[in-house]
Amino acid sequence: MIWVETIVNGVLVGGLYGLLGVGLALIVGVMRVVNVSHGEFIVLAAFMGVSLSGLVPSIHPLVLLVPIVLVFFALGYVMQAALFNKIVARPDPFAAILLTFGLAVVMRNVMLEGYGADPRTLTAGTLAHASVRIFGLSIGVLPLLMLGLSTALFVALQLVLTRTTFGRIVRATADNREVVRLMGVNPGRVYNVVMGLALALASVAGVLLAIRSNFTAYSGVERLLIAFEVVVLGGLGSFWGAMLGGILLGVVQLVGLKFDPNAGPLYAHLLFFVGVLLRPNGLFGART
Amino acid sequence: MTLLEVRGLDAFYGDFQALFDLDLEVRAGETVALVGANGAGKSTFLKCLVGLVETKRGVIRFSGDDITATPAERISQLGLSLVPEGRLLFPSLTVEENLMMGALHRRPGAWTFDSVYEIFPILRERRRQSPNSLSGGQQHMVAIGRALMSNPKLLLCDEISLGLAPMVIEQIYQSFARIGSAGASIVLVEQDVKRAAAAADRVYCLLKGRVTLHGSARDLSFDELCRAYFGA
Repeated sequence: MIWVETIVNGVLVGGLYGLLGVGLALIVGVMRVVNVSHGEFIVLAAFMGVSLSGLVPSIHPLVLLVPIVLVFFALGYVMQAALFNKIVARPDPFAAILLTFGLAVVMRNVMLEGYGADPRTLTAGTLAHASVRIFGLSIGVLPLLMLGLSTALFVALQLVLTRTTFGRIVRATADNREVVRLMGVNPGRVYNVVMGLALALASVAGVLLAIRSNFTAYSGVERLLIAFEVVVLGGLGSFWGAMLGGILLGVVQLVGLKFDPNAGPLYAHLLFFVGVLLRPNGLFGART
Repeated sequence: MTLLEVRGLDAFYGDFQALFDLDLEVRAGETVALVGANGAGKSTFLKCLVGLVETKRGVIRFSGDDITATPAERISQLGLSLVPEGRLLFPSLTVEENLMMGALHRRPGAWTFDSVYEIFPILRERRRQSPNSLSGGQQHMVAIGRALMSNPKLLLCDEISLGLAPMVIEQIYQSFARIGSAGASIVLVEQDVKRAAAAADRVYCLLKGRVTLHGSARDLSFDELCRAYFGA
Protein backbone atom coordinates (compact mmCIF):
# COMPACT_ATOMS: atom_id res chain seq x y z
CA MET A 1 0.00 0.00 0.00
CA ILE A 2 2.89 2.35 0.76
CA TRP A 3 4.02 2.10 -2.87
CA VAL A 4 0.59 2.95 -4.21
CA GLU A 5 0.51 5.94 -1.86
CA THR A 6 3.96 7.00 -3.08
CA ILE A 7 2.86 6.79 -6.71
CA VAL A 8 -0.33 8.75 -5.97
CA ASN A 9 1.73 11.42 -4.23
CA GLY A 10 4.08 11.42 -7.23
CA VAL A 11 1.11 12.10 -9.51
CA LEU A 12 -0.01 14.92 -7.21
CA VAL A 13 3.37 16.64 -7.21
CA GLY A 14 3.80 15.83 -10.91
CA GLY A 15 0.68 17.76 -11.83
CA LEU A 16 2.35 20.78 -10.28
CA TYR A 17 5.57 20.08 -12.18
CA GLY A 18 3.48 20.01 -15.35
CA LEU A 19 2.15 23.43 -14.45
CA LEU A 20 5.75 24.64 -13.98
CA GLY A 21 6.50 23.57 -17.54
CA VAL A 22 3.32 24.48 -19.42
CA GLY A 23 4.08 28.21 -19.55
CA LEU A 24 7.50 27.43 -20.95
CA ALA A 25 5.92 24.96 -23.42
CA LEU A 26 3.52 27.67 -24.56
CA ILE A 27 6.39 30.09 -25.27
CA VAL A 28 8.49 27.44 -27.02
CA GLY A 29 5.50 26.21 -29.04
CA VAL A 30 4.35 29.63 -30.24
CA MET A 31 7.52 31.73 -30.40
CA ARG A 32 10.18 29.02 -30.78
CA VAL A 33 12.32 30.61 -28.05
CA VAL A 34 13.40 29.35 -24.64
CA ASN A 35 12.73 31.79 -21.80
CA VAL A 36 15.65 31.16 -19.45
CA SER A 37 14.15 33.58 -16.91
CA HIS A 38 11.00 31.42 -16.53
CA GLY A 39 12.22 29.99 -13.20
CA GLU A 40 12.89 33.45 -11.79
CA PHE A 41 9.31 34.51 -12.57
CA ILE A 42 8.05 31.42 -10.74
CA VAL A 43 10.09 32.46 -7.68
CA LEU A 44 9.04 36.10 -8.03
CA ALA A 45 5.38 34.98 -7.89
CA ALA A 46 6.18 33.04 -4.71
CA PHE A 47 7.79 36.12 -3.13
CA MET A 48 4.81 38.21 -4.15
CA GLY A 49 2.62 35.63 -2.42
CA VAL A 50 4.76 35.97 0.74
CA SER A 51 4.53 39.77 0.63
CA LEU A 52 0.77 39.82 0.07
CA SER A 53 0.29 37.18 2.75
CA GLY A 54 2.20 39.43 5.14
CA LEU A 55 0.05 42.42 4.21
CA VAL A 56 -3.28 40.60 4.49
CA PRO A 57 -2.64 37.52 6.68
CA SER A 58 -6.35 36.78 7.00
CA ILE A 59 -6.62 35.89 3.31
CA HIS A 60 -5.66 32.36 2.28
CA PRO A 61 -2.69 32.13 -0.14
CA LEU A 62 -4.87 30.30 -2.67
CA VAL A 63 -7.15 33.36 -2.82
CA LEU A 64 -4.11 35.59 -3.30
CA LEU A 65 -3.55 33.75 -6.58
CA VAL A 66 -6.17 35.99 -8.23
CA PRO A 67 -4.31 39.33 -7.97
CA ILE A 68 -0.94 37.62 -8.53
CA VAL A 69 -2.12 36.00 -11.77
CA LEU A 70 -3.46 39.34 -13.03
CA VAL A 71 -0.20 41.13 -12.19
CA PHE A 72 1.86 38.43 -13.91
CA PHE A 73 -0.31 38.49 -17.02
CA ALA A 74 0.24 42.25 -17.28
CA LEU A 75 3.95 41.83 -16.55
CA GLY A 76 4.33 39.23 -19.31
CA TYR A 77 2.39 41.35 -21.79
CA VAL A 78 4.45 44.49 -21.13
CA MET A 79 7.77 42.65 -21.00
CA GLN A 80 7.11 40.93 -24.33
CA ALA A 81 6.07 44.21 -25.95
CA ALA A 82 8.99 46.20 -24.54
CA LEU A 83 11.80 43.62 -24.68
CA PHE A 84 11.26 40.27 -26.35
CA ASN A 85 9.43 41.31 -29.53
CA LYS A 86 12.60 43.09 -30.59
CA ILE A 87 14.53 39.82 -30.75
CA VAL A 88 11.93 37.08 -31.21
CA ALA A 89 11.89 37.35 -35.01
CA ARG A 90 15.66 37.04 -35.32
CA PRO A 91 16.83 33.81 -36.92
CA ASP A 92 19.54 33.42 -34.26
CA PRO A 93 17.96 31.64 -31.24
CA PHE A 94 20.89 32.67 -29.01
CA ALA A 95 19.68 36.29 -28.99
CA ALA A 96 16.56 35.31 -27.01
CA ILE A 97 18.49 32.93 -24.75
CA LEU A 98 21.09 35.58 -23.92
CA LEU A 99 18.47 38.26 -23.27
CA THR A 100 16.39 36.04 -20.98
CA PHE A 101 19.54 34.78 -19.26
CA GLY A 102 20.56 38.36 -18.53
CA LEU A 103 17.06 39.10 -17.23
CA ALA A 104 17.22 36.00 -14.99
CA VAL A 105 20.51 37.12 -13.41
CA VAL A 106 19.17 40.62 -12.75
CA MET A 107 15.89 39.30 -11.30
CA ARG A 108 17.69 36.82 -9.02
CA ASN A 109 19.90 39.56 -7.59
CA VAL A 110 17.02 41.99 -7.15
CA MET A 111 15.03 39.31 -5.27
CA LEU A 112 18.09 38.52 -3.16
CA GLU A 113 18.45 42.22 -2.35
CA GLY A 114 14.76 42.56 -1.51
CA TYR A 115 14.04 39.34 0.35
CA GLY A 116 17.44 38.05 1.51
CA ALA A 117 18.76 34.49 1.22
CA ASP A 118 16.69 32.84 3.97
CA PRO A 119 14.31 30.05 2.94
CA ARG A 120 10.67 31.13 2.82
CA THR A 121 7.37 29.33 2.57
CA LEU A 122 3.70 30.16 2.27
CA THR A 123 1.53 28.72 5.02
CA ALA A 124 -1.79 27.23 4.03
CA GLY A 125 -3.25 27.01 7.58
CA THR A 126 -5.32 23.99 8.54
CA LEU A 127 -5.74 23.05 4.88
CA ALA A 128 -2.06 22.06 4.81
CA HIS A 129 -2.68 19.17 7.22
CA ALA A 130 -6.16 18.10 6.11
CA SER A 131 -6.42 14.71 4.42
CA VAL A 132 -9.06 12.40 3.03
CA ARG A 133 -9.14 8.62 2.80
CA ILE A 134 -9.70 7.31 -0.71
CA PHE A 135 -9.65 3.49 -1.23
CA GLY A 136 -7.81 3.16 2.04
CA LEU A 137 -5.16 5.72 1.07
CA SER A 138 -4.57 8.89 3.05
CA ILE A 139 -4.28 11.76 0.59
CA GLY A 140 -3.68 15.43 1.45
CA VAL A 141 -6.54 17.78 0.56
CA LEU A 142 -4.17 20.56 -0.47
CA PRO A 143 -2.19 18.44 -2.97
CA LEU A 144 -5.50 17.19 -4.37
CA LEU A 145 -6.72 20.78 -4.76
CA MET A 146 -3.45 21.66 -6.47
CA LEU A 147 -3.75 18.76 -8.92
CA GLY A 148 -7.35 19.75 -9.59
CA LEU A 149 -6.33 23.34 -10.25
CA SER A 150 -3.45 22.25 -12.52
CA THR A 151 -5.74 19.94 -14.50
CA ALA A 152 -8.42 22.63 -14.77
CA LEU A 153 -5.82 25.09 -16.12
CA PHE A 154 -4.55 22.54 -18.65
CA VAL A 155 -8.10 21.85 -19.84
CA ALA A 156 -8.89 25.58 -20.00
CA LEU A 157 -5.73 26.24 -22.01
CA GLN A 158 -6.56 23.38 -24.36
CA LEU A 159 -10.11 24.71 -24.87
CA VAL A 160 -8.88 28.25 -25.50
CA LEU A 161 -6.35 27.04 -28.07
CA THR A 162 -8.66 24.66 -29.92
CA ARG A 163 -12.14 26.18 -29.62
CA THR A 164 -11.70 29.96 -29.79
CA THR A 165 -10.80 32.48 -32.47
CA PHE A 166 -7.87 33.61 -30.32
CA GLY A 167 -6.64 30.00 -30.11
CA ARG A 168 -6.80 29.67 -33.89
CA ILE A 169 -4.82 32.89 -34.26
CA VAL A 170 -2.20 31.63 -31.79
CA ARG A 171 -1.82 28.30 -33.61
CA ALA A 172 -1.65 30.01 -37.00
CA THR A 173 0.96 32.48 -35.69
CA ALA A 174 3.00 29.54 -34.37
CA ASP A 175 2.82 27.99 -37.86
CA ASN A 176 3.84 31.07 -39.81
CA ARG A 177 4.28 34.54 -38.30
CA GLU A 178 4.59 36.19 -41.74
CA VAL A 179 1.49 34.71 -43.37
CA VAL A 180 -0.82 35.60 -40.46
CA ARG A 181 0.01 39.23 -41.16
CA LEU A 182 -1.80 38.80 -44.50
CA MET A 183 -4.90 37.85 -42.50
CA GLY A 184 -4.72 41.11 -40.53
CA VAL A 185 -2.97 39.64 -37.47
CA ASN A 186 -0.14 41.47 -35.73
CA PRO A 187 2.13 38.65 -34.49
CA GLY A 188 3.74 40.94 -31.89
CA ARG A 189 0.38 41.44 -30.17
CA VAL A 190 -0.28 37.69 -30.21
CA TYR A 191 3.12 37.11 -28.60
CA ASN A 192 2.33 39.73 -25.92
CA VAL A 193 -0.82 37.84 -24.88
CA VAL A 194 0.95 34.47 -25.06
CA MET A 195 3.76 35.70 -22.80
CA GLY A 196 1.12 37.14 -20.44
CA LEU A 197 -0.61 33.74 -20.29
CA ALA A 198 2.70 31.90 -19.85
CA LEU A 199 3.72 34.06 -16.89
CA ALA A 200 0.22 33.88 -15.39
CA LEU A 201 0.53 30.06 -15.46
CA ALA A 202 4.06 30.29 -14.05
CA SER A 203 2.78 32.47 -11.20
CA VAL A 204 0.18 29.86 -10.24
CA ALA A 205 2.89 27.18 -10.20
CA GLY A 206 5.16 29.49 -8.18
CA VAL A 207 2.59 30.16 -5.45
CA LEU A 208 1.48 26.51 -5.23
CA LEU A 209 5.07 25.30 -5.00
CA ALA A 210 5.76 27.90 -2.31
CA ILE A 211 2.89 26.38 -0.30
CA ARG A 212 4.31 22.87 -0.77
CA SER A 213 8.00 23.52 -0.14
CA ASN A 214 10.61 26.08 0.91
CA PHE A 215 12.15 28.42 -1.60
CA THR A 216 14.89 31.07 -1.73
CA ALA A 217 15.94 33.73 -4.20
CA TYR A 218 18.18 31.06 -5.72
CA SER A 219 15.36 28.57 -6.37
CA GLY A 220 14.72 29.86 -9.90
CA VAL A 221 17.42 27.65 -11.43
CA GLU A 222 15.92 24.54 -9.85
CA ARG A 223 12.40 25.53 -10.97
CA LEU A 224 13.64 26.25 -14.50
CA LEU A 225 15.40 22.88 -14.59
CA ILE A 226 12.18 21.05 -13.74
CA ALA A 227 10.18 23.19 -16.20
CA PHE A 228 12.74 22.54 -18.94
CA GLU A 229 12.80 18.79 -18.26
CA VAL A 230 9.00 18.70 -18.30
CA VAL A 231 8.88 20.52 -21.65
CA VAL A 232 11.58 18.40 -23.32
CA LEU A 233 10.30 15.12 -21.91
CA GLY A 234 6.74 15.93 -23.00
CA GLY A 235 7.79 17.16 -26.45
CA LEU A 236 8.71 20.75 -27.23
CA GLY A 237 5.58 22.87 -27.40
CA SER A 238 3.15 20.09 -26.40
CA PHE A 239 0.88 21.02 -23.46
CA TRP A 240 -0.47 17.57 -22.65
CA GLY A 241 3.07 16.30 -23.10
CA ALA A 242 4.11 18.80 -20.41
CA MET A 243 1.42 17.47 -18.07
CA LEU A 244 2.44 13.85 -18.66
CA GLY A 245 6.13 14.73 -18.44
CA GLY A 246 5.51 16.47 -15.11
CA ILE A 247 3.61 13.49 -13.70
CA LEU A 248 6.35 11.07 -14.82
CA LEU A 249 9.02 13.23 -13.19
CA GLY A 250 6.97 13.54 -9.98
CA VAL A 251 6.33 9.79 -9.70
CA VAL A 252 9.94 8.81 -10.45
CA GLN A 253 11.25 11.41 -7.99
CA LEU A 254 9.09 10.15 -5.10
CA VAL A 255 9.61 6.47 -5.90
CA GLY A 256 13.37 7.17 -6.13
CA LEU A 257 13.29 8.82 -2.72
CA LYS A 258 11.69 5.70 -1.24
CA PHE A 259 14.61 3.62 -2.48
CA ASP A 260 17.27 6.17 -1.74
CA PRO A 261 16.26 8.93 0.72
CA ASN A 262 19.39 10.99 -0.02
CA ALA A 263 18.82 11.02 -3.78
CA GLY A 264 16.76 14.22 -3.95
CA PRO A 265 15.60 14.76 -7.53
CA LEU A 266 18.42 12.56 -8.94
CA TYR A 267 16.12 9.87 -10.36
CA ALA A 268 13.86 12.45 -11.98
CA HIS A 269 16.92 13.93 -13.74
CA LEU A 270 18.01 10.41 -14.76
CA LEU A 271 14.55 9.78 -16.22
CA PHE A 272 14.93 13.00 -18.23
CA PHE A 273 18.34 11.87 -19.46
CA VAL A 274 17.09 8.41 -20.49
CA GLY A 275 13.92 9.92 -22.01
CA VAL A 276 15.96 12.27 -24.21
CA LEU A 277 18.18 9.38 -25.32
CA LEU A 278 15.25 7.10 -26.19
CA ARG A 279 12.80 9.71 -27.52
CA PRO A 280 14.70 12.87 -28.49
CA ASN A 281 11.45 14.47 -29.69
CA GLY A 282 9.70 13.79 -26.38
CA LEU A 283 6.49 11.90 -25.71
CA PHE A 284 4.33 14.21 -27.86
CA GLY A 285 7.12 15.71 -29.92
CA ALA A 286 5.22 16.66 -33.05
CA ARG A 287 6.60 20.18 -33.09
CA THR A 288 10.31 19.49 -32.98
CA MET B 1 -11.63 52.77 -63.23
CA THR B 2 -8.10 52.11 -61.98
CA LEU B 3 -8.02 49.85 -58.93
CA LEU B 4 -4.26 49.46 -58.51
CA GLU B 5 -1.69 51.91 -59.73
CA VAL B 6 2.05 51.37 -59.24
CA ARG B 7 4.53 54.05 -60.30
CA GLY B 8 8.35 53.97 -60.27
CA LEU B 9 8.65 51.11 -57.78
CA ASP B 10 12.14 50.09 -56.61
CA ALA B 11 12.62 47.21 -54.16
CA PHE B 12 15.76 45.83 -52.54
CA TYR B 13 16.89 42.78 -50.55
CA GLY B 14 19.77 44.34 -48.62
CA ASP B 15 22.03 45.79 -51.32
CA PHE B 16 20.47 43.70 -54.08
CA GLN B 17 17.96 45.58 -56.17
CA ALA B 18 15.08 43.29 -57.20
CA LEU B 19 12.73 45.78 -58.90
CA PHE B 20 13.63 48.78 -61.06
CA ASP B 21 11.29 51.69 -61.68
CA LEU B 22 8.29 49.40 -62.11
CA ASP B 23 4.99 50.78 -63.42
CA LEU B 24 1.80 48.69 -63.47
CA GLU B 25 -1.93 49.24 -63.50
CA VAL B 26 -4.93 47.02 -62.78
CA ARG B 27 -8.42 48.22 -63.63
CA ALA B 28 -11.54 47.20 -61.76
CA GLY B 29 -12.87 43.84 -62.95
CA GLU B 30 -9.92 42.84 -65.10
CA THR B 31 -7.45 39.97 -64.87
CA VAL B 32 -3.80 40.92 -65.32
CA ALA B 33 -1.06 38.37 -65.90
CA LEU B 34 2.47 39.06 -64.73
CA VAL B 35 4.81 36.66 -66.48
CA GLY B 36 8.54 36.18 -66.30
CA ALA B 37 11.26 33.64 -65.70
CA ASN B 38 12.52 32.58 -62.28
CA GLY B 39 14.11 35.52 -60.47
CA ALA B 40 12.39 38.15 -62.65
CA GLY B 41 10.94 39.84 -59.54
CA LYS B 42 7.31 38.74 -59.89
CA SER B 43 6.91 37.41 -56.33
CA THR B 44 8.86 40.36 -54.92
CA PHE B 45 6.41 42.68 -56.65
CA LEU B 46 3.42 40.94 -55.03
CA LYS B 47 5.15 41.05 -51.63
CA CYS B 48 5.66 44.80 -52.08
CA LEU B 49 1.94 45.21 -52.76
CA VAL B 50 0.94 43.44 -49.53
CA GLY B 51 3.64 45.06 -47.38
CA LEU B 52 5.87 42.03 -46.85
CA VAL B 53 8.79 43.67 -48.68
CA GLU B 54 9.62 47.32 -48.08
CA THR B 55 9.91 49.56 -51.09
CA LYS B 56 12.67 52.13 -51.39
CA ARG B 57 11.11 54.36 -54.03
CA GLY B 58 7.85 54.64 -55.88
CA VAL B 59 4.16 54.80 -55.07
CA ILE B 60 1.47 52.12 -54.75
CA ARG B 61 -2.10 53.40 -54.92
CA PHE B 62 -5.06 51.13 -54.26
CA SER B 63 -8.62 52.38 -54.76
CA GLY B 64 -7.09 55.86 -54.93
CA ASP B 65 -5.30 55.62 -51.54
CA ASP B 66 -1.53 55.60 -51.15
CA ILE B 67 -0.73 52.24 -49.51
CA THR B 68 3.03 52.27 -50.15
CA ALA B 69 3.95 52.21 -46.46
CA THR B 70 0.89 50.37 -45.17
CA PRO B 71 1.87 47.42 -42.94
CA ALA B 72 0.90 43.91 -44.08
CA GLU B 73 -1.54 43.57 -41.15
CA ARG B 74 -3.80 46.27 -42.62
CA ILE B 75 -3.66 45.28 -46.27
CA SER B 76 -6.37 42.59 -46.22
CA GLN B 77 -8.81 45.03 -44.60
CA LEU B 78 -8.32 47.35 -47.57
CA GLY B 79 -9.35 44.60 -50.00
CA LEU B 80 -6.04 43.11 -51.20
CA SER B 81 -5.51 39.40 -50.70
CA LEU B 82 -2.52 37.23 -51.59
CA VAL B 83 -2.41 33.54 -52.44
CA PRO B 84 1.29 33.04 -51.67
CA GLU B 85 3.70 30.90 -53.64
CA GLY B 86 3.91 27.44 -52.08
CA ARG B 87 0.43 27.89 -50.50
CA LEU B 88 1.82 28.51 -46.99
CA LEU B 89 -1.22 27.08 -45.24
CA PHE B 90 -1.40 26.65 -41.48
CA PRO B 91 -0.77 22.93 -40.82
CA SER B 92 -1.92 23.12 -37.16
CA LEU B 93 -5.38 24.21 -38.35
CA THR B 94 -7.99 22.23 -40.24
CA VAL B 95 -9.03 23.19 -43.76
CA GLU B 96 -12.08 25.03 -42.40
CA GLU B 97 -10.01 26.80 -39.75
CA ASN B 98 -7.63 27.95 -42.50
CA LEU B 99 -10.63 29.46 -44.27
CA MET B 100 -11.73 31.08 -40.99
CA MET B 101 -8.32 32.76 -40.73
CA GLY B 102 -8.96 34.39 -44.10
CA ALA B 103 -12.29 35.69 -42.78
CA LEU B 104 -10.83 37.36 -39.67
CA HIS B 105 -11.21 40.85 -41.14
CA ARG B 106 -13.71 40.11 -43.88
CA ARG B 107 -15.25 42.87 -45.89
CA PRO B 108 -18.88 42.58 -47.00
CA GLY B 109 -19.18 40.52 -50.15
CA ALA B 110 -20.13 37.33 -51.93
CA TRP B 111 -17.55 34.93 -50.51
CA THR B 112 -18.62 32.66 -47.68
CA PHE B 113 -17.83 29.05 -46.70
CA ASP B 114 -20.66 27.90 -48.95
CA SER B 115 -19.52 29.84 -52.01
CA VAL B 116 -15.92 28.65 -51.56
CA TYR B 117 -17.13 25.05 -51.19
CA GLU B 118 -19.26 25.58 -54.28
CA ILE B 119 -16.26 26.31 -56.52
CA PHE B 120 -14.07 23.72 -54.73
CA PRO B 121 -16.53 20.97 -53.61
CA ILE B 122 -13.75 18.65 -52.43
CA LEU B 123 -12.91 21.11 -49.64
CA ARG B 124 -16.30 20.58 -48.03
CA GLU B 125 -15.52 16.87 -47.71
CA ARG B 126 -12.04 17.61 -46.36
CA ARG B 127 -12.96 20.55 -44.13
CA ARG B 128 -12.04 18.80 -40.87
CA GLN B 129 -8.69 17.48 -42.15
CA SER B 130 -5.26 19.01 -41.80
CA PRO B 131 -4.11 20.68 -45.03
CA ASN B 132 -1.01 18.48 -44.87
CA SER B 133 -3.19 15.49 -45.69
CA LEU B 134 -4.41 17.06 -48.96
CA SER B 135 -2.91 16.84 -52.43
CA GLY B 136 -0.99 19.82 -53.84
CA GLY B 137 -3.96 20.90 -55.96
CA GLN B 138 -6.36 20.71 -53.02
CA GLN B 139 -3.92 22.75 -50.93
CA HIS B 140 -3.95 25.40 -53.66
CA MET B 141 -7.74 25.42 -53.45
CA VAL B 142 -7.55 26.01 -49.69
CA ALA B 143 -5.08 28.86 -50.24
CA ILE B 144 -7.37 30.48 -52.83
CA GLY B 145 -10.41 29.93 -50.61
CA ARG B 146 -8.59 31.44 -47.62
CA ALA B 147 -7.73 34.54 -49.67
CA LEU B 148 -11.31 34.82 -50.97
CA MET B 149 -12.86 34.66 -47.49
CA SER B 150 -11.81 38.28 -46.85
CA ASN B 151 -13.86 39.30 -49.94
CA PRO B 152 -10.97 41.04 -51.71
CA LYS B 153 -11.31 43.67 -54.40
CA LEU B 154 -8.02 42.40 -55.82
CA LEU B 155 -6.82 38.80 -55.59
CA LEU B 156 -3.08 38.27 -56.08
CA CYS B 157 -2.09 34.71 -57.08
CA ASP B 158 1.57 33.77 -56.97
CA GLU B 159 2.67 30.83 -59.16
CA ILE B 160 -0.67 29.07 -58.78
CA SER B 161 0.09 26.30 -61.29
CA LEU B 162 3.59 25.44 -60.10
CA GLY B 163 4.03 21.67 -59.68
CA LEU B 164 0.38 20.78 -60.39
CA ALA B 165 -1.08 18.26 -62.85
CA PRO B 166 -2.61 19.87 -65.98
CA MET B 167 -6.11 18.70 -65.03
CA VAL B 168 -5.86 20.36 -61.60
CA ILE B 169 -4.48 23.56 -63.15
CA GLU B 170 -7.44 23.58 -65.50
CA GLN B 171 -9.88 23.27 -62.59
CA ILE B 172 -8.18 26.10 -60.69
CA TYR B 173 -8.12 28.36 -63.74
CA GLN B 174 -11.83 27.70 -64.29
CA SER B 175 -12.46 29.06 -60.80
CA PHE B 176 -10.94 32.41 -61.81
CA ALA B 177 -13.86 33.04 -64.16
CA ARG B 178 -16.26 32.64 -61.22
CA ILE B 179 -14.04 34.80 -58.97
CA GLY B 180 -13.93 37.53 -61.64
CA SER B 181 -17.69 37.42 -62.13
CA ALA B 182 -18.14 37.89 -58.36
CA GLY B 183 -16.46 41.27 -58.78
CA ALA B 184 -12.80 40.77 -57.87
CA SER B 185 -9.91 41.82 -60.08
CA ILE B 186 -7.09 39.29 -60.34
CA VAL B 187 -3.32 39.48 -60.76
CA LEU B 188 -1.87 36.17 -61.90
CA VAL B 189 1.85 35.70 -61.47
CA GLU B 190 2.96 32.87 -63.73
CA GLN B 191 5.89 31.30 -65.53
CA ASP B 192 3.51 29.60 -67.97
CA VAL B 193 3.11 32.40 -70.51
CA LYS B 194 0.56 30.68 -72.73
CA ARG B 195 -1.86 29.77 -69.96
CA ALA B 196 -1.58 33.11 -68.17
CA ALA B 197 -2.08 35.12 -71.37
CA ALA B 198 -5.12 33.03 -72.25
CA ALA B 199 -6.73 33.76 -68.87
CA ALA B 200 -5.85 37.47 -68.70
CA ASP B 201 -7.15 40.70 -70.16
CA ARG B 202 -3.72 42.30 -70.10
CA VAL B 203 -0.18 40.98 -69.70
CA TYR B 204 2.98 42.43 -68.18
CA CYS B 205 6.29 40.71 -68.85
CA LEU B 206 9.07 41.10 -66.29
CA LEU B 207 12.78 40.50 -66.87
CA LYS B 208 15.42 41.06 -64.19
CA GLY B 209 13.14 43.38 -62.21
CA ARG B 210 12.02 45.53 -65.16
CA VAL B 211 8.83 45.54 -67.23
CA THR B 212 9.97 44.64 -70.74
CA LEU B 213 6.56 44.43 -72.39
CA HIS B 214 2.95 45.09 -71.57
CA GLY B 215 -0.30 45.28 -73.43
CA SER B 216 -3.63 43.68 -74.14
CA ALA B 217 -3.47 39.87 -74.05
CA ARG B 218 -5.42 39.81 -77.31
CA ASP B 219 -2.96 42.10 -79.11
CA LEU B 220 0.30 40.54 -77.98
CA SER B 221 1.53 37.54 -79.96
CA PHE B 222 3.06 34.51 -78.28
CA ASP B 223 6.38 35.24 -80.05
CA GLU B 224 6.44 38.81 -78.73
CA LEU B 225 5.82 37.55 -75.21
CA CYS B 226 8.51 34.88 -75.51
CA ARG B 227 11.06 37.42 -76.72
CA ALA B 228 10.26 39.74 -73.81
CA TYR B 229 10.27 36.78 -71.41
CA PHE B 230 13.78 35.68 -72.40
CA GLY B 231 15.14 39.14 -73.26
CA ALA B 232 15.92 38.11 -76.81
